[in-house]
Amino acid sequence: MHPGTVWTIYKKELTDTLRDRRTLIFMLAIPMVAIPLLIMAISQLMMSQITKQIEYESMVIVQGAEHATDDLMARFRDAGTLKLLTENEYRASDSTHKGDLKDALIAGDFEALVVIPETFDSAIESETPTTVEIYYDQAEMKSEFTVDKLRDVLDPYKEHVVEQRLKSRNIPADVIEPFDVSKHNVAPMRKLAGEKVGAMLPYIVILMCFMGAIYPAIDLAAGEKERGTLETLLVSPASRGDFVVGKYLVILTTSLIAALMSLGSLTFSINYMVKGLASEIGKMLMLQLDVSTVLLIILVVLPMAGIFAALLLSVSVFARSFKEAQNYSNALMMLIILPAIASMLPGVDMSYQLALVPVLNASMIIKNAVSGTVQWNYVATAFAASVVYAAILLFFAKKWFEKESVLFRT
Amino acid sequence: MIQANNLCKVFKDKKRGEVRAVDGVSFECKSGKVFGLLGPNGAGKTTTLRMLSTALKPTSGTAFIDGIDVEREPQRARKRIGFLSGNTGLYGRLTAREMVRYFGRLYGMQKDVIAERIDKIFTLLDMHDFADVRNDKLSSGMKQKVSIARSVVHDPPVMVFDEPTTGLDVMSSRTIVGFIKQCCNDGKCVIFSTHIMSEAARLCNRVAIIHKGKLYADGTVHEILSSSGCDNLEDAFIKIIGE
Ligand SMILES: Nc1ncnc2c1ncn2[C@@H]1O[C@H](COP(=O)(O)OP(=O)(O)OP(=O)(O)O)[C@@H](O)[C@H]1O
Ligand SMILES: [Mg+2]
Repeated sequence: MHPGTVWTIYKKELTDTLRDRRTLIFMLAIPMVAIPLLIMAISQLMMSQITKQIEYESMVIVQGAEHATDDLMARFRDAGTLKLLTENEYRASDSTHKGDLKDALIAGDFEALVVIPETFDSAIESETPTTVEIYYDQAEMKSEFTVDKLRDVLDPYKEHVVEQRLKSRNIPADVIEPFDVSKHNVAPMRKLAGEKVGAMLPYIVILMCFMGAIYPAIDLAAGEKERGTLETLLVSPASRGDFVVGKYLVILTTSLIAALMSLGSLTFSINYMVKGLASEIGKMLMLQLDVSTVLLIILVVLPMAGIFAALLLSVSVFARSFKEAQNYSNALMMLIILPAIASMLPGVDMSYQLALVPVLNASMIIKNAVSGTVQWNYVATAFAASVVYAAILLFFAKKWFEKESVLFRT
Repeated sequence: MIQANNLCKVFKDKKRGEVRAVDGVSFECKSGKVFGLLGPNGAGKTTTLRMLSTALKPTSGTAFIDGIDVEREPQRARKRIGFLSGNTGLYGRLTAREMVRYFGRLYGMQKDVIAERIDKIFTLLDMHDFADVRNDKLSSGMKQKVSIARSVVHDPPVMVFDEPTTGLDVMSSRTIVGFIKQCCNDGKCVIFSTHIMSEAARLCNRVAIIHKGKLYADGTVHEILSSSGCDNLEDAFIKIIGE
């Protein structure tokens, strides 16, 4: 390899590539314009969804309301966003309300069904254990929120009953509360916001890393064939290895720029824009995206860009035409997306085996880093594995660039 | 000077099996002369010229450029060859100057030498007006000039042209033909392939007729005409390849 020649090739190809509008779109326009817009749209959507769920008046049917204590029923009726109907009231309200209540719940006629056992009243009176059942539809977010609202009524009532019983025995209420656990109910919001954005982040960065490499890669090899410039390179005294390395470095450059621009844009949007929109969600999201996390993400993206650049260059050298290289790249993109999506699945946990799987390892590490865990042993494994893969792929690109049957494919 | 000794090239084609594109071709072209390689489509002209210019490796046989074995020392041979074909293209987003400079660097020339050389070539080809315009925006005649400038930036003693006028309009063709004559006058060794007989008759000192990979005749235009008993090259060509 001749560094001087590689540098000549690198400079020329980079100039050429940076004058290509398609490359600029992926490198600059999408990260700087599309990503902030996307983040804004998503956070707006989440905000409005959450407010809608919370303010929504949930319809709840109480079966066996006549067995409930008056106190409990009063508490239910006083709860702000609950519309409570006894079974009889419900059936009377509409002539079609005849069938099984659980079927009606599944059908979405109301959000939850509370079943008070026949013995409830007397059980409370006689201090024997009893159960209140809540039926809900987990597939429906509204229904899930309704359960939270019902618990907000039932739990204080339970405490109240306990308090009464203690009082009747002359025991101070503090006895059953040796210490206080202060919990803050942000669970539904984190589920919606934190996890979704956390999982989306690696996906976007990886995708942009790949997209930033596509057009330069196609143009730099298959494009040379199509334009008829390849042969002029082959008969020049610069060695074929120098061309491969020079071109590879250009693709790597654009890929990294696209990925880093996206990461920067994401960090900025999340830390500033979302925060401005809704302080609580904003705080939750920006929690983990600090400087060290961003540096870690760069560390995993670097060798992955190395893999993408080598992979796309190989494919492009192999392809007969621009169009063919484009088709291959699109197919590859599907392959890249799969592991990125797999990392979003709940229950996929990091292990040494997973750390060896390209792309999946990077997205797992980013996902975990965003939610606050960094396991350096896996980061090191993934880094080393990715560097090896990139080197192997680059070797293939070079082999093909030296092979007549690939260069002059007809 | 170019010497081809018993050049053979076999391609392994998926559909057709083994294709003997060039089969035992030998010839010699001298400096200051134009050597024409005549043949119909698929004769093996491009393949022969690609072996001479080191884009392809011969399956067997040898070729020498100014006494340098192209297979043993391709790097050295390449510096002595200028290559131009009807299919060679340009980088559309680079300007003429940037493109020619790039190739100068690839041929290992120093920056100041390149600048001087570019100035000289651009004057010769009357290219200064569009030297800093992107190639995309040039007319086909201008593009042709950029291609020419690219092929001679390193002032090679040997020029290889593969059907250089194919697909060009009259004006661009004239530019190329004029350039070939110029190369010959400058004492370069020129080899060019064509299937246009009139072009060959007008330009070449010597011609070789190639068909299905084999060399059928080799001599001056005059020798070819008299040995075949025809009064124009086209008839002689048809007679020689026997169709
Ligand atoms: N890379 C290749 N792989 C397989 N076969 C090839 C390859 N290149 C050329 N051939 C075959 O070799 C033969 C000679 O081709 P070549 O291109 O040298 O002919 P040519 O004289 O230049 O023809 P044309 O006038 O059409 O340019 C043809 O049959 C062609 O199909
Ligand atoms: Mg040809």
